[in-house]
Amino acid sequence: MPRWKLLAIHATLITITSMTLLPLAFMVNNIFRSNHEFYRSFFSIPDAFKGLVGVTGALAGGDKGPVEVDDQEGRTQRVPPAEAAGMYLQQIKRGPTMAWAVLRPYLINSLVVSVLTALGVCAMGSSAAYILSRYRFMGSRVALMMFLATMMFPGVLTLVPSFLLVKRLGLLNTYWAMILPYMAGGQVFAIFIFYSFFKGLPEDLFESARLDGAGHFRLYWNIVLPLSKPVFSVVIIMNILGTWNNFLWPFITNTDGSHHVISSGLFALATSAHAQNFSTMFAAYAISSVPLLILFVYATRPFIRGMTSGAFKA
Amino acid sequence: MIRPSLRSTLGCYTIILPGTVLLLTFVYLPVVWAFSKSLYEFEVGGQARFVGLANYKEYLTLDPTCWPSAANMLLLTMFAVCVRLTLPLIVAKLIHSLPRERWRHFYRVMFLAPIVVPGVAVQLIWQGMIYADHGLLNSLLRGLDLAHLTHGWLSDPHTALAAVMMVGFPFVGGFEVLIYYAGLSAIPDSVNEAASLEGCTGVSKFFRIDIPLILSQLKLILLLTVIGGMQGFEGLFILTRGGPGFKTTVPGLWMYFNAFSFQRMGYACAIGVLLFLAILTMTLLNFRYFKSAEKIKGES
Repeated sequence: MPRWKLLAIHATLITITSMTLLPLAFMVNNIFRSNHEFYRSFFSIPDAFKGLVGVTGALAGGDKGPVEVDDQEGRTQRVPPAEAAGMYLQQIKRGPTMAWAVLRPYLINSLVVSVLTALGVCAMGSSAAYILSRYRFMGSRVALMMFLATMMFPGVLTLVPSFLLVKRLGLLNTYWAMILPYMAGGQVFAIFIFYSFFKGLPEDLFESARLDGAGHFRLYWNIVLPLSKPVFSVVIIMNILGTWNNFLWPFITNTDGSHHVISSGLFALATSAHAQNFSTMFAAYAISSVPLLILFVYATRPFIRGMTSGAFKA
Repeated sequence: MIRPSLRSTLGCYTIILPGTVLLLTFVYLPVVWAFSKSLYEFEVGGQARFVGLANYKEYLTLDPTCWPSAANMLLLTMFAVCVRLTLPLIVAKLIHSLPRERWRHFYRVMFLAPIVVPGVAVQLIWQGMIYADHGLLNSLLRGLDLAHLTHGWLSDPHTALAAVMMVGFPFVGGFEVLIYYAGLSAIPDSVNEAASLEGCTGVSKFFRIDIPLILSQLKLILLLTVIGGMQGFEGLFILTRGGPGFKTTVPGLWMYFNAFSFQRMGYACAIGVLLFLAILTMTLLNFRYFKSAEKIKGES
């Protein structure tokens, strides 16, 4: 490929990537800016950062003269450099601290719900897919069809009746209101993915183990599990992403707000008095992204490999 | 596939039992209820009154939001289809044409990275940062001396729907890029070599070789985008709540308001059933008229 062509491709890709990531960059930058700074200009390096650098420089140079600092309300004050540094640090910490105080319980709820759901989906989905892909017995085909047919039913059809059901079961404002329906729906996609993978495993593997007298559990644990780690990573990640991003269902089933998860909690935050403070909101968005960022860092490679394996087509 | 012994068959039933019970309770029962409850008029906890098909009739003939919201839904879905079938594909092709694996990996990771931000946060960021009075768009216009063009993009009836469409610009989602990329990687080397021997390269190869061979992926994205576009309303709920007026209302959102704001559960179920029928029709049409690459290969 000629050099100019390569450069053109890189330039195009870099431009599109930056445009995609731009709102996130603004988000991170605005965590550290007060409302006054935000109103003054949409984008600039946070005053607190510039101020800290200035104060550090002044202190290092032995300059003890008073410094001008804008306080919370935008009033300018003259204070000694050490105190100014404290004010700047305060300003930097303010958004994240307030957001964290509000989001911490939501974050714990999100973790509980998404981990339990992912565990349940993996356990039920992979064991059912193993049975349905390796054995033929009365009702096995009907059972498979019954699972896969639910992909036809869009969430919009079942949203209202599911709410009525959860209410009648007395599950409103509990973790179960989220975990049970998520597991019921999530296992279908898991079975779909696991089924096609298990189907491709050679029968000889199972044959010899069976002759040794291995039961369902030993076959599943000793043969199926070790072979299907990449598939598990795709199922787990897709499942956690789905749970983490689901906003409407937790929003509806938490009528008293006691079991808000990150998504519904963010929305609650955006409609509360905290929304007046931009830095709190931006910090909240950033904090809500951290858990998935950690997952992303550890799981990108297997995930990209799994997604690229060719299972995703119609 | 083996036929297990009787004892082992019992084991099989035991293993699929929990999943089946959950499925019947939390998926099939609500599906049945959606149809049956749409024939009643009731509030949560109130007395249900059988009304036959009156809910359907009311929605299709009397409800002022019915046709405008269907039009909004179609516009939003068509726009989403147009951008998601093209832009991520072009990006995937550009990434795939890079010679070094390191860069290919780097760009795939970069485009995938934004999925760590929860969807709600993305909508709120767009609402507060791009479209608000002091947001990016209006600041940019002021900076360019076009202050007279600044306005509340989401609150102006003329621009609300367009503003909602533009959320997510430049519309290059990491999932779509990965899926198209997978399709491009799966094209056998022999095909690529034959194409270059015949002098088929660049844009002409893209249209004559690449696109026909990744039809399965295009079809998947088309299906997911159409289904998502017809039933999705969370974004609109966060951004505009369907306003101003009914300018950004879609049937799904109206269903939500009927159920959870106006307490008309039966009416909401009826809207849900109608949406389901519309989505089912689109899905069947998609499978009927948009053949996948495997089928075409099988026939020729």
